[in-house]
Amino acid sequence: MNVDQDQLRKAMVSLAVEKVLLGIGKPIYNNVIKQLSKDYNCYLPECYEHPEYLNKVLKKIFGNAHVTIVDSIKKELDECMTQKPIAHFVTAISE
Amino acid sequence: MQNNFEKLQEQKSLFICLLITGVTITLATFFGKEVAKVVTDFTYIIVTASFVVLSIIISSRFRKTGSHGKAWMLFLGTAVSWCMAETTWTIYELVYHTNPFPSLADVFYISGYPFLFLFSIYYLKPFNKLISRKMILITSLIAVSVLIPSLYMTMDNNSAESKFTIALGATYPVADSIILVPALIGIFLFFRGEVNFLWTLLLIGILLEVTADTGFQYFTLNNLYYTGHPTDI
Repeated sequence: MNVDQDQLRKAMVSLAVEKVLLGIGKPIYNNVIKQLSKDYNCYLPECYEHPEYLNKVLKKIFGNAHVTIVDSIKKELDECMTQKPIAHFVTAISE
Repeated sequence: MQNNFEKLQEQKSLFICLLITGVTITLATFFGKEVAKVVTDFTYIIVTASFVVLSIIISSRFRKTGSHGKAWMLFLGTAVSWCMAETTWTIYELVYHTNPFPSLADVFYISGYPFLFLFSIYYLKPFNKLISRKMILITSLIAVSVLIPSLYMTMDNNSAESKFTIALGATYPVADSIILVPALIGIFLFFRGEVNFLWTLLLIGILLEVTADTGFQYFTLNNLYYTGHPTDI
């Protein structure tokens, strides 16, 4: 049951990040995916377990403006923030 | 900034293209004004046509997706406008042998600016929460200070040119300084990021535009301008 819940949260996080990045543009989304894979050998769903990778990649691409992307992801996950792992993910990408 | 420097080193082809363009026009000036005119006119058509091709490639990558997709479509609008402007200028100068300033070419040159401004707006749109009033005020002050030499020349000149020509000449530095505001905001927003490279190039380009347009205005008012003039480089 716990594993299923975790898989669900993983999917939710992936979808939220995907939605925010696609809102800017598909090549931007592709660039983030590419950098995650190149620098950390990591796919987007795995960022749920390693939010620090996503944090570093967003900083690398957007510099100071990564804060806005993080805010938009937070907003997308707003309803699930009561769930500890999601709140932990959001805190980790905000650092 | 280190990131930008590394990026600049990677962009050798960009530097080679800029160098070839600059050297071509400089060399042409040694062969007299007529040669400089022909070489500069054709070089500018090639440069702006390449600008259109590159913009089409970037726009097609985005396929109108997201805010940046719209931004790059608008960027394509700038490229097309300026390519048409250069072509019109060349036709007036080399085919009809008339002075291309002021002419229909100016309509195309000026219409490129709203597209460029809207490109910046759409590009920065997803990050608008970070843009404070203070940031807009500071960047606007910088833009206005860049405009001072041009405004001084407009107000204080003894040119025989018509008021319309003088005002039209002043329009370019004004438009450049308006574009400068979002470019400076972009530099600040994306500081330390890879995207910052694009905004650094845009800022350098706009600053060179301001210099060239102010130079164009000065030499036109003093009846010293010709196509291929060092200010064109």
